[in-house]
Parts: sequence; C-alpha cells; structure tokens
Amino acid sequence: MTELYILDVPENTAVAKAAAEDPAATVGQVGPYFVISAEGPIVIDRRATGCRHAVWYSCVAGVARTGRITQHDKDALRVEPA
Amino acid sequence: MTELDHRVRGVDHVAFPTFDPAATVRFYRDVLGFPVVHSICAAGWGPEDHPDFIHFFFDIGNDDRIAFFYYFGTDPSLGGPEGAKGDVHGRFGADVPEYFVRSRHLAIHVENEEDLLEYRRRLDASDWPVEMQIQHETIESIYTHDPNGYFFEITRAMRPVTPQEDLDAALTIDALLDVVAQPEPTFGKLLARKAELIVERAPGWEPVGSEPAR
Ligand SMILES: [Fe+2]
Repeated sequence: MTELYILDVPENTAVAKAAAEDPAATVGQVGPYFVISAEGPIVIDRRATGCRHAVWYSCVAGVARTGRITQHDKDALRVEPA
Repeated sequence: MTELDHRVRGVDHVAFPTFDPAATVRFYRDVLGFPVVHSICAAGWGPEDHPDFIHFFFDIGNDDRIAFFYYFGTDPSLGGPEGAKGDVHGRFGADVPEYFVRSRHLAIHVENEEDLLEYRRRLDASDWPVEMQIQHETIESIYTHDPNGYFFEITRAMRPVTPQEDLDAALTIDALLDVVAQPEPTFGKLLARKAELIVERAPGWEPVGSEPAR
C-alpha cells in the first residue's frame, strides 16, 4: 500500500489529475489534501501534469511510511512500497 | 501553537555596508527610483576606532527601507580578502556552491506583473540588467546583483496565498522539528512525518475566517 499526499492548491490539481489516470490508483481527499493511494507503486508522468519545474519538484506534501519515493525527476514521480 | 499576539509591522530597515556609495545611489535612486528618505552623517566615536560614516536610507515602499553605511577612509579590504564569490560583506571561495552564496538575499515586493516588468525595464536599461526572471511555485521574480554584489530580488505573487497553505506550512514546520530532533534528518523522513500529521490534523481542519477556500 502506498499513499501520497498533495496539497489541494490550483498548481497541484494537474498532478492529482495525472495520478488519477492510472487505474490502479485512487484519488481521495483528507481535509485540503489529495490522497493518492494504490496497492503497488504510484507513478505520475511529469509530461501529463504540464507543471513548471518549481511546482513539480515541490508538489509532494507527504508519503505514508508504507511507501517511499524512488524517483522524482524531470520524467516522473514514483512512489513504491517501502 | 502561536498564542502570542503578533504586534510587529514589517521591515523598518535592513542595513548593509557599501564601499561604492556613488554606484549604490545610482542603482537604488536613479535606476530603480527608490527615494532617499533619511540619512545620518556621524563623526566616528567609541573605543573601536570607528571611522566617520554616512548612513543613508532608500524607501522600498510601505515605509520600509534599505539602508547603507559608507565608512570614510575604508575600502573593501576592510571586510577581509576579496572573495571569488559573494558580496562586499559576505565573501566566499570559488568552491562554495552558488545556492549557498545566494541563499541570503533581500526580495522586494511588487503588486503585479506590470510592476515587475516595469522594474525589469529599468534594470535592463542600466548597468545592472536582470540576470534571471523565474516563476517559482506561486511567485514570479527578477534577480540581479546590486553594485555591492548583493543578490537582489523583486517579486510578485501570482495568486493570493490560500488558507490551506498556512496549514501546510504549520505541518511542515512541526514535521521538520520532529525530524531534526532525530539523527540524520532527510527529506524522506520529513515527508513520512508530514503524512502522519496530515492524517492527524487535516481531516478536522477548516479554513479560518469567512473567505472560502480557493
Ligand atoms: Fe527570494
């Protein structure tokens, strides 16, 4: 189980939307945060988000201890079971 | 957590030494158009062989001020050997990374894009053209170095800060304090601690005030 938290602000909605495109991931909400969860890895394609650099590299608010970020670069953000 | 009432009212002044008052006045008054609003001419006194000096202030809006000290009879060697990087006050070797050298800086606020571009025009027409124009997360900034080598930023907000960002900032700081209290703090540990605080505190959160969350 992997869980990724993203603050719900206008710049980040594209990230949550891109995450929702993966059928293995579900996107919910906890207070003002999107929660993206999946049984296995969560992968978000940078190009699908259209985010500027600064937004892309600062979009993660939290990662539950059951997972960890294994990639966060110009191509993708990948969270895998720890 | 913050129960102390918040009484301060912004920056009164921030002060820097200069060894080139002529260029400093050109940059701030003549190029940027920041009015000279105050100055002190003082004879040196005190035990430390204090030189005679001029302390002069430019208005940076909002009645806030940037101030300089010019000490008669001194030159940049006063601050130690010349640095390969940095400014007349902070001197660094060539091996010091640029992100560290630039980390301490002053950013002056403007209301909107039009005003940001107006200052860009003024700087670009001067001896201190804009070196970078960057959109960060939610702000856009222009940067140059002033005649003293001080890293100088003018910035505008691309949108107002939302109440949820205040919550997120509070959670970040609480998570940071937890993580730096442990050995070997990492970004990964911070995000894991923050996830716990989100689960704990975000569900019950409501934006303060009548303004709807945007
Ligand atoms: Fe800045």
